[in-house]
Amino acid sequence: MMDSILTSKVLPRALVLAASALLLFGACRSRLAAPFPPDHGDNSVPLPGGTLSLASATDLRSLDPALAADAVAQPILLLLFDGLVDYDLQGAFIPSLASRWELADQGLTYRFWLRPGVRFHDGSELTAHDIARSIQRMLHPATPSPFKGFYASLQDVVVEGLYLVAMHLREPDTTFLHVLAQPAARPVCPDALDRSRDTWVPCGTGPFRLQHWERGVALRLVRHDAYFRPGLPHLDAISYRFNFHPVTQRLAFEAGELDLLHDLTQADLTRFRSDPRWIPLGAAEVAHTVVGESLNTELPPFDSVEVRRAVAAAIDREQYRLLKPGQLVAANQPVPPGVPGHEPNLVGQTYNLDAALEHMKRAGYPYDPSSQQGGYPHPIPYLSSHEGLSETTAQLLQQQLAKIGLRLQLKVASWPAFLAATHRRRTVAASPQGWSLDFPDASDFLGPLFGSAAIQDDDSTNTSFFRHTGLDDLLVRARRELDATRRRALFAEASAIVCDEAPWAFTYYYRSYEVRQGYVRGYVPHPIWTSHVAEAWIDRSDRRLPRR
Amino acid sequence: MRTLLRRLLWVLLVVWATTTLTFFVTAVLPGDPARLVAGPSAGPAQIEAIRRELGLDRPPLFRYGLFLRRLVHTRGHASHQSCQPLVWGVHVDLGQSVRFRQPVLGLVASRLPRTLLLAFAAVCLQLAFGIPLGALAAARRGTWLDTGAVGATLLGASVPTFLLGPLLQFLFAYELQLLPLDGYGTTPLEHAACLVLPALTLGIVGSAGFTRLARSELMTVLAQDHVRTARAKGLGEVAVVFRHGVRVALGPLVTAAGLELGGLVGGAMVTESVFRWPGLGQLSVQAALGRDSPLLSGIVLVSSATIALLTLLVDLSYRWLDPRQR
Repeated sequence: MMDSILTSKVLPRALVLAASALLLFGACRSRLAAPFPPDHGDNSVPLPGGTLSLASATDLRSLDPALAADAVAQPILLLLFDGLVDYDLQGAFIPSLASRWELADQGLTYRFWLRPGVRFHDGSELTAHDIARSIQRMLHPATPSPFKGFYASLQDVVVEGLYLVAMHLREPDTTFLHVLAQPAARPVCPDALDRSRDTWVPCGTGPFRLQHWERGVALRLVRHDAYFRPGLPHLDAISYRFNFHPVTQRLAFEAGELDLLHDLTQADLTRFRSDPRWIPLGAAEVAHTVVGESLNTELPPFDSVEVRRAVAAAIDREQYRLLKPGQLVAANQPVPPGVPGHEPNLVGQTYNLDAALEHMKRAGYPYDPSSQQGGYPHPIPYLSSHEGLSETTAQLLQQQLAKIGLRLQLKVASWPAFLAATHRRRTVAASPQGWSLDFPDASDFLGPLFGSAAIQDDDSTNTSFFRHTGLDDLLVRARRELDATRRRALFAEASAIVCDEAPWAFTYYYRSYEVRQGYVRGYVPHPIWTSHVAEAWIDRSDRRLPRR
Repeated sequence: MRTLLRRLLWVLLVVWATTTLTFFVTAVLPGDPARLVAGPSAGPAQIEAIRRELGLDRPPLFRYGLFLRRLVHTRGHASHQSCQPLVWGVHVDLGQSVRFRQPVLGLVASRLPRTLLLAFAAVCLQLAFGIPLGALAAARRGTWLDTGAVGATLLGASVPTFLLGPLLQFLFAYELQLLPLDGYGTTPLEHAACLVLPALTLGIVGSAGFTRLARSELMTVLAQDHVRTARAKGLGEVAVVFRHGVRVALGPLVTAAGLELGGLVGGAMVTESVFRWPGLGQLSVQAALGRDSPLLSGIVLVSSATIALLTLLVDLSYRWLDPRQR
C-alpha cells in the first residue's frame, strides 16, 4: 500500500500545482470588471435614499468616542457624533455644533456659542451641559480613555448659559481646538451619563445613528432624521462589514456589493491605478503617517550621533517606496506632507552613500566597501513584527546597512511582544516604528516621538529615547506661540534638529488609496478625515445588474 | 451508570486542565493587553489606568482565583456585569472580554452554534465523500480506480484550506455567481447558501483521511470469513461491500468522525476567516492576537467541553454500533 502511494505521488503534486496556477491565474486576471456607471450624467442634484456598503479588513472594538482607538473606528465615529468645530476641505476650522467661538484672556479661554435646536439621536436637545458632561465623562478617572493626555492643558469647563460654554486652559495651547475637533470628547446622549460604561449604546448628534452592531462581523447605521444640517444626510443607511479579506473585498466590489474599496492588495492597487476606466474613480489621500527606523540613542552603536547620521544617509528610500508605489512616499522629515508643519523646502534626510561612509569614519568605524573590511565589529539586534511591511523592510534595511559596515541581526516578534519590547528602555537597539496623526499639527509628531517628556521606562512613545534640550525648548515655545508664522518657524527648526540628530531614519510616508464605484457621488477625499462619507449619495436605482 | 459517571468526571478534569493551562499561558505571554486596547498613541498614564481598570495590575494567580470563583455561582455578583443565569438560580460568568468590552459568555454563545453548524456540515461532507471513495478503492483494489481514489485523497490532503477556499470562492461565487462570496447572511436560506462553500472546503480537505481509513478498514473486513460467506451465498458486490463491509468498519470511522468534529469545533480558523464565517475560530484568532485572556480562556473552556462531550458520545455510540463491545 505504501509503495503504490509513493509511486503515484508525482501526479497529485502536479495536480496541486495546476490548481494553484488556476487560482493565481484567476486572481491575477489583468482585466478588472467595468465600473458601474451612474444613472445620470449630471451630478449636481443629490438624490436621496439608498444604502452605502463599506468594508474593512480589520475589526472594530469600540464605538464609544472616549475609548475607540482603532483606525477603522474613526470614520464611523464621525458619522455618529458631531464636534463643536470641524474642518473644511482645505483643512481650516469651520463651525459645527458651535455656530461661533472666541479665544479670550490671551489665549486662556475658549468660548463656544451653540446652535440651538440640535437634536440627539434619542430626541433630546443639545445644550451647554451636554458639552461639559461629555468632556468630563471622557476625563472621568473610571473612564479608561487613551485620549486624556491631549487634554492636559484644560483646567475646567464652565456652562455660562443654555447655549454658551467656556473652557479655561492652564496655559495657552494652540493645539486645543484641534484636540476638541477630534471624536474623543464629542457630545454624547444624556444616557451616556458621567463616565464610560460598556453597556452604553453609542448615541450622539451625528447625521447617522447606530441601528445594529454584531461585534467583529457587521454594523448598520441609519439616517438621523432630525439632523441639524438641512437636507443632510442623503443616504438612508450605511453598512459596514469587518474582518473582510482584501482579495474578497475586491471581488465583492467588482460585483457591486461594496461601493468603496479602501483595503487594496499591491496587485489590485497596481491594476486599479493603471486601468483607464478606474483611474477617475480612484483617489489618494494626503499622507498622515510617517514610518522610520527608530535608533535607540541609549544603546550602542546608536548612542553615537555619527552612526545614526550614517544610517539616515545609507537608506535608499526609493527602494522602500517601490514596495508599494501609490501608497508609499519617500520620507525626509518627521512631519508627513498631509500635516501642517511639513516643510517642503527642508532637505532633511536623503540617500548619500559617500556621506554615510564618511559618518562611519567619523564615528570611528571606517568601512571599505571594496574589500568589505572594517565597519562596526558587532552584529546589531533589530526587532521587527509581522505587522504591515515591517518584515520586508527589515530585510531591505539589512541589505542597505551592510553597505556601510553595519550588520543587522533580524528578529521578528508578535505584535504585542514587539510593542512591549520596543517601548521599554534599554531593550531594543533598533526597530521599525510609525506614527499616525491624532490631530493635524506638527506637535503631535514631534512631541510624543522625540520630546524628552515622552521618555518612560515602559510604554514610552519616544522609542529612540532621544533627549535634546534645544528641541524640548522649541516644542514648549511652539505650544504657547499664538502667531501662526512664528510657530511654523519653530517647528521648522525642530524638524531640522530631528533630521540632523537622526533618532529615527525616516523611510516613508503612508497614504491610502481608495476606489469608488461610478455611482457613488458627493464623496471627495478629505484633508484630515479618512473615508468621510457623511455627504455621499448614490446615483443608481438598480443595484443588481448583470456585469459580464 | 458508574462508568458514565466516571467518564463525566474525566470530562470535567480535562476541561479544567485545558482552561487552566490557557489561562496561565496567556497570562505569561509577552505583550500587554492594556497597550493593545489603548492604541499606539496613548501615553503611559492612560495605559496604566486601563491596566488597572482591566484588573491586569493584579497577579495572575489572583486573577485565576477570581475567574474560578465567579465561573459558576448561585447569586449574581455585584462586582461585575458579565453574569448570565443558567438554570435553577445558578449563574455562569466567564468574565469580560478585554478586546470587545462585552461579556465573554454572550460572545461565545452567539458564535458556538454557527461553528457547530459548520463543523457538522463539514464532517457530513467528509463522510459522504470519504466512505464511498474508500469503499470503491477497497472493492477495486489494485485497479486504476484504486490508484485514482488514493491519488485524489492525497491531493485533498495536500491542498491547504487557504488555497482551496479562495479557489472555490473564485469559481462558484465570483465567476459563476451561484453562491455568496462569504459572510453568514440574515435569513435561514442565506445561512444555508453561505454555508456551502466553507463546508465544501473543509469537506474536501478532510475527506482524504476518511477515504484512507475506509479503504484500509474495508480491506481487512472484506478478507474476513463472514464476507466470504456472504459472497458465497450469491449476494451482489454492492450489498457485500456496504451491508457486510462498511457496517462492520463503521466503528473506527465514527470514532474518527467524532475526533474530526471536535477538531473543527476547536478551530476551523483559516476557513472561518477566509469565508468571514462568524464562528469561534475567527473569534479565537482575534482573541489570541489581542492577548484577550478572558475571551481565550472562555473559548477554550467551551470548545474543550464540547470536544470532551463529543468524544464521550462517540465512545457510547461505539457500544451501540458494535455488538462485541456490549
